[in-house]
Amino acid sequence: ISRNTMPGTSLEGIHPTYIYKVVLLGSTSVGKSSLAYRYVKNDFKESLPTVGCSFFTQTLNLEAATIKFEIWDTAGQEKYHSVCHLYYRGAHAALLVYDITNKETLNRAKLWLRDLEKEFLPDEIVIGLVGNKTDLAAEREVATEEGKEFARTKGLLFMETSAKSNHQVNDIFMAIAQELLQREREKTSIPSPHGWSTVNLGESGVRTRCC
Amino acid sequence: EYEEKTGRAHRPLSPKQNVRKNLDFEPLSTTALILEDRPANLPAKPAEEAQKHRQQYEEMVVQAKKRELKEAQKRKKQLEERCKLEDSIGNAVLTWNNEILPNWETMCCSRKVRELWWQGIPPSVRGKVWSLAIGNELNITHELYDICLSRAKEKWRSLSTGGAEVECEDAGFSAADREASLELIKLDISRTFPNLCIFQQGGPYHDTLHSILGAYTCYRPDVGYVQGMSFIAAVLILNLDTADAFIAFSNLLNKPCQMAFFRVDHGLMLTYFAAFEVFFEENLPKLFAHFKKNNLTPDIYLIDWIFTLYSKSLPLDLACRVWDVFCRDGEEFLFRTALGILKLFEDILTKMDFIHIAQFLTKLPEDLPSEEFFTSIAAIQMQSRNKKWAQVKRILIFENR
Repeated sequence: ISRNTMPGTSLEGIHPTYIYKVVLLGSTSVGKSSLAYRYVKNDFKESLPTVGCSFFTQTLNLEAATIKFEIWDTAGQEKYHSVCHLYYRGAHAALLVYDITNKETLNRAKLWLRDLEKEFLPDEIVIGLVGNKTDLAAEREVATEEGKEFARTKGLLFMETSAKSNHQVNDIFMAIAQELLQREREKTSIPSPHGWSTVNLGESGVRTRCC
Repeated sequence: EYEEKTGRAHRPLSPKQNVRKNLDFEPLSTTALILEDRPANLPAKPAEEAQKHRQQYEEMVVQAKKRELKEAQKRKKQLEERCKLEDSIGNAVLTWNNEILPNWETMCCSRKVRELWWQGIPPSVRGKVWSLAIGNELNITHELYDICLSRAKEKWRSLSTGGAEVECEDAGFSAADREASLELIKLDISRTFPNLCIFQQGGPYHDTLHSILGAYTCYRPDVGYVQGMSFIAAVLILNLDTADAFIAFSNLLNKPCQMAFFRVDHGLMLTYFAAFEVFFEENLPKLFAHFKKNNLTPDIYLIDWIFTLYSKSLPLDLACRVWDVFCRDGEEFLFRTALGILKLFEDILTKMDFIHIAQFLTKLPEDLPSEEFFTSIAAIQMQSRNKKWAQVKRILIFENR
């Protein structure tokens, strides 16, 4: 856990730095790598199939804090499922990505959610549902409402994106960042039974299972 | 009329050219330097100054001459080296074709051949050597390949016509699962070495790659298609004819390490990682400690390297050289190569934190220096407290039971 934490650098406690691990999960070829690539490099190119996991970093300088995202971009093929299991351990946020032109991929995203629910308590992880490939609107199989409704019932962030045409890619990561920051603030205002959460403003890695 | 025109084009030599004509040697880089008298409307240079200029000019010409001679020598040397390299490849091809291949059984393990092997197998005999070294334990014939291929084609047809009567002889593997595999193959072919532009739709090897992967899912429905396979098949296709590539592909994937990974046998994969760590600690204790401190487990980088046999992460010519020795030494060499990479970049890696190491190792620099790379691999000892790779692995498998 220690590598996910970092005390605030400048003006301790006033402008802290948080390191967050974000894991991208979803079926093969829904655009996980492309989303990460668009977000980090602001570019689009055809990605090679991911075997295992690939990694990206992105730093966000916000008014309230500096956020360093460590993005874990996992392999999509179902056969790699047991391997990906290794990768979401200790994640602060997860993006469940599906392809709006392929209904089956939304079902897979729902399965991923079930896995995450087994591993994490609701306050331990921020989860976003992402319907990618809005540039292929003509081939759409999943209505926006369907994704939105599912996300609402499960309390997930939701956005439809296009890594190709750069639609709402920054927005979903920004929404994740804001939600994580909000949770940091809540954590510090409600003292945990351990009585240390107020002290550890800068230590995002410390998560308690109590509240 | 024509002569008149061309005649006109032939102007008398300009004064500048006249000056130049007197020089017996004219270095290219001094063509812009012109030694001339001052125009007639200006006072002439004093004799002393003219003398000085002439001297300076001559010095410049001499310097330029020297420099160009040096460059010419360098070019000559480079050319000689290239010729030497080509000769040595040519000689190696002769040695492989005339001496080694006809006497494979007796010669393949000799020291001389092993040494030549390490230098890299010449591309023209590479496929043959790989085939022989991988062997055909599974006794796959060209006919069997044809049978598997025609089955795959039937399945593609029934999928594309939407027919629901897919044979159920491979019980236990749902039609949906297989469909996903076939769909995925199609998708991945276009994503296999896209910069080579030969496996993509319309490219010369598109159908070959499709056929081999499809035939394999019919030959081994229990394994099916796993991402990473398309790269292995592609490298084989680049070096072998289709049916032989299929035979090598199936036999290669049948090796214990590849079976463990492609069946995603998690327990066994962890055993391989544990064995790797034994040799990691032995060879690079400082870096090993740094990785431990940063929680950087081998799965982070080894999964991609092992699944694709380095073909996705190394430049193709280096990957082929790794394959050369992998065919000779077996799985052990895959892990030795991994340690060679870590050793090569040890200094940089010890200065990085978790995420940057992970990023670096999953996307290696594209300009890996090949000689340094192989020197680094050669420096890795696959011996830990008198135990070799196979022994260490066996002990770990036993302990995990």
